[in-house]
Amino acid sequence: MLTHAHAEPKSPSRVVVIGAGFVGNSIARAVERRGVPVLALKRADLDLLADNAAESLAKRLRADDSVVFVSAQAPARNAAQLIQNLKMAEVVAKTLAAQSVAHLVYISSDAVYADDANPVTERSSVQPASMHGMMHAARELMLRTEAKVPLAILRPSLLYGAADPHNGYGPNRFRRLAAKGETITLFGEGEEMRDHVLIDDVAEIAAATLAHRSTGVLNIATGVSTSFRRIAEMIVARAGRPVEIKGTPRQNPITHRHFDIADTLKAFPAFHFTPLAKGLELAETGA
Amino acid sequence: MTTVGFAGLTHLGLVSAVGTASKGFNVVGYDADLERVSSVLAGKLPVVEPDLDALFAANALRQTWSDRVEDLGRCDIVYIATDVPTDDRGRSDLSGIAALIDRVIPALKPSALLVVLCQVPPGFTRKLPLDADRLYYQVETLVFGRAVERATQPERFIVGCADPAKPLPDVYAALLGAFGCPILPMRYESAELAKIAINCCLVASVSVANTLAELSEGVGADWHEIVPALRLDRRIGAYSYLVPGLGIAGGNLERDLATVLRLSEQTGSEASVIASFLANSRHRRDWALRALHREVLAVKPDATLGVLGLAYKENTHSTKNSPSLELISHLKHLPLRLYDPVVPASAAGHPRAVGAKDALDAARGVDALLLLTPWPEFRKLAPAELARAMAGRVVIDPYRLLDPAQARAAGLNHHSLGAGPSC
Repeated sequence: MLTHAHAEPKSPSRVVVIGAGFVGNSIARAVERRGVPVLALKRADLDLLADNAAESLAKRLRADDSVVFVSAQAPARNAAQLIQNLKMAEVVAKTLAAQSVAHLVYISSDAVYADDANPVTERSSVQPASMHGMMHAARELMLRTEAKVPLAILRPSLLYGAADPHNGYGPNRFRRLAAKGETITLFGEGEEMRDHVLIDDVAEIAAATLAHRSTGVLNIATGVSTSFRRIAEMIVARAGRPVEIKGTPRQNPITHRHFDIADTLKAFPAFHFTPLAKGLELAETGA
Repeated sequence: MTTVGFAGLTHLGLVSAVGTASKGFNVVGYDADLERVSSVLAGKLPVVEPDLDALFAANALRQTWSDRVEDLGRCDIVYIATDVPTDDRGRSDLSGIAALIDRVIPALKPSALLVVLCQVPPGFTRKLPLDADRLYYQVETLVFGRAVERATQPERFIVGCADPAKPLPDVYAALLGAFGCPILPMRYESAELAKIAINCCLVASVSVANTLAELSEGVGADWHEIVPALRLDRRIGAYSYLVPGLGIAGGNLERDLATVLRLSEQTGSEASVIASFLANSRHRRDWALRALHREVLAVKPDATLGVLGLAYKENTHSTKNSPSLELISHLKHLPLRLYDPVVPASAAGHPRAVGAKDALDAARGVDALLLLTPWPEFRKLAPAELARAMAGRVVIDPYRLLDPAQARAAGLNHHSLGAGPSC
């Protein structure tokens, strides 16, 4: 649950985005649209794995900054990547322990929850089953215990959007395959249901969290889960050309994930998620 | 003639005192709050319960109301009958009842019995500074909205004693005997836990109903068709709590769950099912909020809403833990029209709410109507009239106060607990 320090939204003095990639850039744009100055730091601007990273970050921060920490080598698949990601968070935590800022928003992941947490809420047990989930859970704990600043942790579900560089199983890959007229191959028959959230919606919620200077934990999911097969069918229907959707022999048991998004409805009552059909259209047109 | 005292003129004390007077006993109701006592003396009862006003008036000659603790000195039995408040985590604040007992004990006549009637955790009664032969604990089974019935026709008395093998004192046995129901003496701790056990059983039934009602909504079943089949099963029972609700409403059930969790943690017993009851309750409590966003606000973000019912349940003025007020607190940006037969619209503390003069008036011009307290009068509303009054078509009616078929026939898009929109 999020608690708002500002009941009515108020512009932060400046927002610093650490990790101006796919997610970070979207958040930076959403904040800029609200007329707030943004310092978006790419890896070229600030390498959190460099020797002088903490010093370099400290120099760029002001006491009245609101910081969004999104930088990660994602997904973390092995022990080495896990350690690298934790080192990055260590730098941020250490810097913010020594130098206070107004607000910190950490972009985590729903991978911190147990696979069988259904429906997922902000009170579901943090029990990661993957290296990636463990990485985010550990980073959350590092920031919570070491960075002495008001902290909001946002845990998005699966993201999609035009600019997503990842080509993971789901809307992004299906869209690119369909555009080329290539076969969409499903795991099993694509029965698994997941909650896919448009990157623009994640950016809007992050911007609203900054404007309310909120603290606590909030999941970012639409509350509607859809099977991978259904998504493939929706994309093919939009493609306007014949694209084959092919099942494969199932290797793993079917798991589903649903979210109870009541906390989001309470935190941001006037916000509404983009329905999947509309979001797929936006992702396709790159709008 | 036996005189029975009641210390604390809260919901529990007042209803218990009037109920005891109705059995032919003289009663003395004491409360340190002069304003409260004056209000009772003037016949203006601070609680709303069916039949309470009539029973109060019919037994006026046997009732004494006082703000002087010394007046309890002529009682043969004195009940400690104050409500025990809880904090937002369901923990009891026992400081008020402890202070009341400290005040009452010196006022008792030497032979008088003291009976703790309020909800206290196991171990509380035994520690009280009074001779064990004069000290008892009695389980209260007050149900808001049915308090008079529960106070005058109890199913049984559960009495906590220092030594359950010893017979109850004559005066106490005669008082309880007047109600004509079984009396079950047991040790203090058993009686204190019995109260919690009753509530845990109720919560278990309600949680099963709420869990399967949600599943019904997803798989095309109608939970209301299933309930009568369960009631005819003797192992489940005709009176079991199977009607789905917006979680576990009211503070007393949550209090007992919190007590069980706390005691289980202390003693190392396994009680994860209790935590699951609470998680399910919290999830179901937001049913109307989710339905409202899904069916109305996702399409019309600036909708005007009508809300029928503010009290936490029917036939009570209590708004503590009211699902209706909880929902309204998350709709501060929207214009609302509110109506409750007893609770004024101002109780919602909503910046854009107006009070309507009746239910139909609350429906006038709204984009969606929510029926959030199952007051009997709302069941009489004609869906066709509501449809004419409303601008939109969505009715969120968790307790199914309107007949779904009639609502559909009136062109309304009707949503209730336990069934998908097609039922």
